[in-house]
Amino acid sequence: MTLQDEVRRAVAAVATPPTAKGTAGNPRGTTSDLTIDETLLLHSAGWEPVDLVYGISWWSIPWGVWQWATGEVQEASAAFAGAMDHAAKQLRQACDQAGGSGVLGVEVGVRVSSHHISIELTGTAVRRIDADSHHFEFVSDLSARDFVLLVRAGWWPLGVAAGASFVIAPRRSAREWASQQGQNVELPNLTQALYLARERAMERMQSSGVAMKADGIVAVKLREGRASSSVRVIQFVAIGTGVHLRTAAHRSIAPEMVVPLDEVVREFDVKSLRSGKGE
Amino acid sequence: MTERSSAPGTAPPGLQGAAPATAPLPQGLPPDASRRLAELEDRPGHKGMFTSDLSVNEFLLIKEVGFHPLGFVIGSSIYHLGIQTRKWSQSQELSKLTEAMYEARQFAMDRMDAEATELGADGVVGVRLDVNYYEWGSDTAEFIAVGTAVKAEDGRSYRNRQGKPFTSDLSGQDFWVLMQTGHVPLGLVMGTCVYHIAHRGLGQTLRSTGRNVELPNFTQALYEARELAMTRMQDEANELGATGIVGVRLEEKSHMWGDHTIEFLSLGTAVVRSEGDHTIPQPRTIISLDG
Repeated sequence: MTLQDEVRRAVAAVATPPTAKGTAGNPRGTTSDLTIDETLLLHSAGWEPVDLVYGISWWSIPWGVWQWATGEVQEASAAFAGAMDHAAKQLRQACDQAGGSGVLGVEVGVRVSSHHISIELTGTAVRRIDADSHHFEFVSDLSARDFVLLVRAGWWPLGVAAGASFVIAPRRSAREWASQQGQNVELPNLTQALYLARERAMERMQSSGVAMKADGIVAVKLREGRASSSVRVIQFVAIGTGVHLRTAAHRSIAPEMVVPLDEVVREFDVKSLRSGKGE
Repeated sequence: MTERSSAPGTAPPGLQGAAPATAPLPQGLPPDASRRLAELEDRPGHKGMFTSDLSVNEFLLIKEVGFHPLGFVIGSSIYHLGIQTRKWSQSQELSKLTEAMYEARQFAMDRMDAEATELGADGVVGVRLDVNYYEWGSDTAEFIAVGTAVKAEDGRSYRNRQGKPFTSDLSGQDFWVLMQTGHVPLGLVMGTCVYHIAHRGLGQTLRSTGRNVELPNFTQALYEARELAMTRMQDEANELGATGIVGVRLEEKSHMWGDHTIEFLSLGTAVVRSEGDHTIPQPRTIISLDG
């Protein structure tokens, strides 16, 4: 069989909807970005993937906020919250349409330019294998593997909690600058500005967790980096999955200690000395 | 080189005192941080919750050993790193830079500790120390410490002998294994040394050209710098009354100083044997076939 034939057969197999009841509400059959392992795991927990779903939202930011403000850029933070909210609603709608009752492995793409913020949420809608009707239950950026583990311990994901803050790093006055030249000192105003911005991003994430009545937020990721065209604008984005305990108490997962015999030995790294320059 | 008999590693600057008088942070937490932490705690009329950057695996393993996460805690310090003159042909420690690198990290960790203390934590696990450089700040670096504050569910206190929550850079998995073996972490210990390595003179370079020989001055300089960093780390562990340090890492970075000036940073978690008998479970050996 030639390669072309094989490809044709594979494509035909994917295009043919499964004969099981899985076609309800989703004439295209199943699409998911889960790996085979994850799909198997999901099945073992009584769930199956339905479709790849997404939610996208663009919010505009008023002109000039990056240039004239000092400290936090409130407009941008508000735009982030609005876009996130809207994208999550779209994702939920898409999930409903696909006949799923939850979305797993959500990837959160945030793009910030000087005039708008765009948020893209992409994930795999999943549903219970045995249930006849599907109502919306959760959105989570956890992998299918994490989801199965969490459910086994009695916890349940609720939604993606996120918060952001944008801050313009304050400039040092000429006097400060001059007095600090050549010195080893902490820069209190800069430290404080960035510290606060980080705290605010996390506080907003927490508030969205509280709003969804979560017991906690796991797997928090704190992303930071340059925002917009100005190097002095820094964005902080905190994202995690809100979870709550469904059973009366936490169930032990009883881990076992194993020693893999094929572990790679950690090597001593002296890369920094290998530049080859400067004898 | 300035005269300093006590190594910087032995005298960590505290939350108060050593900080410059102008710094608003070391005296306490910024108001936003306190507000955020207050939201995490249970109060009448307000249901608290936890936040944590632990993965699901780590979260479940921490629960397994009887700890509950309280909150994601953070500390940071933006520091201006000055210059220190160095002799071209002499290997030496740059003690001012060493002190600066140590102090900046200590500020960040102290603030993280303060956040954990505010939450009433017994410890902080999964601590990561990072250094950031921003385009707008020449000679400026941001030192960050982040981790997840945890509390023992059985009410026992795990604070260390300084009355502070323990800190540890062990992952949730490593923490679980450590507890299985009957050890408890005491604190994240570190030692640092910024070292200038001498350039070789023309004569030396010519003599070794085309030959296979050891370069004793380089060897010695690197050796000494590493030893200094590790000794300082050990001194910190001794102060905590530790019986050992696990997960030690030795990092070498030139940051922004060019080829011949290197910071040696050693980091590890100081541990002590807990009371009572512990039988270490026999681990199962497996050979995975997907090598």
